[in-house]
Amino acid sequence: MAQMPKRVKHRKSQRGRIKGNASRGNKVVFGDFGLQTLEGGWIKAQTIEAGRIAAQQYIRGEGRLYIRIFPHKSITSTPLETRMGKGKGEPEHWVATVKPATILFELGGVTEEQAKVCFSRLAHKLPVKTRMVQRRTA
Amino acid sequence: MAEVLNVSVREKLGSSNSRRLRQSGHVPAVLYGRKADNMHLSIPADDVVPVLRRGIKLVNMKGATTDMALIQEVQWDPFGLEVLHVDLTRVSADEKVQIATSIELRGEAPGTKDGGQLLQMVHNLQVECKVTAIPEKLEINVNSLGLNEMIRAGEVEIPADVVLLTDPEIVVVQCMEVADAEDEEPADMLAIEPEVIGRKEDEEGETSS
Repeated sequence: MAQMPKRVKHRKSQRGRIKGNASRGNKVVFGDFGLQTLEGGWIKAQTIEAGRIAAQQYIRGEGRLYIRIFPHKSITSTPLETRMGKGKGEPEHWVATVKPATILFELGGVTEEQAKVCFSRLAHKLPVKTRMVQRRTA
Repeated sequence: MAEVLNVSVREKLGSSNSRRLRQSGHVPAVLYGRKADNMHLSIPADDVVPVLRRGIKLVNMKGATTDMALIQEVQWDPFGLEVLHVDLTRVSADEKVQIATSIELRGEAPGTKDGGQLLQMVHNLQVECKVTAIPEKLEINVNSLGLNEMIRAGEVEIPADVVLLTDPEIVVVQCMEVADAEDEEPADMLAIEPEVIGRKEDEEGETSS
């Protein structure tokens, strides 16, 4: 099931702007390899789930997949064939806001070749350009 | 193992000058410690980047200074492609230091063939040793690691002149059975809404109706 928050302070949020690169969450922390986004954007909860399924079907329990992003932001929309006005629409789905350089997923317990193939399959599901990175030694 | 870095003194300081320095293929650095004056240095990027990628901690310098130094901190750009700045601490050859050493797994665990998953829980171990005896990395052989077995920090082979500071009971690597992924029924996302903090139950009923 796609992720969403359990409790929120406000049901609806404003769109906001994505400025600058990620200064946090831009390092591989849990696994050995990471998938880093090169663009900023919104990633839907359903997209994260699709990526997770694509990756786990490939690794089949050999390694461990870590999801580093969470969809905190609700996106609203007005229904079709509705007249303008009458206030902001109802929440439709949830997205994770990512800045360029954010690590989206991590893999541990797999070889570099396996990680490359796995991330390639996963990246096809994502709406942003990505690259594979390794854990930094320094 | 100490690498030799060719360093020169950096006269022009500040972010603009540092940016120009990086564009010319150098990395700005600072050298401090042992009650001597700080030195602002410039190191060729081609020299320093391979040293950092290999995880080398101790460097000898030539040029503006001939001190021995420990790489204290490294600043990378957000994408992890370029080194922005390096902090170096002066050390003497007989000084003892506390330092994090990376772990490298070697071999293939037999437990993975029995349906186990090899997971490295810790990637660095804190050790104390003389600066000249800092291990580049600690190798762990997992060739004898069966299913549902683990290697703790205390069981890691470390050189004789190195003292382990990390809790020896911490699990470094384990080979555990993989739990079957639960197939949850796909729920209608629109039907589920998170609880709104501070809202009373009767108010929530009004919004949903």
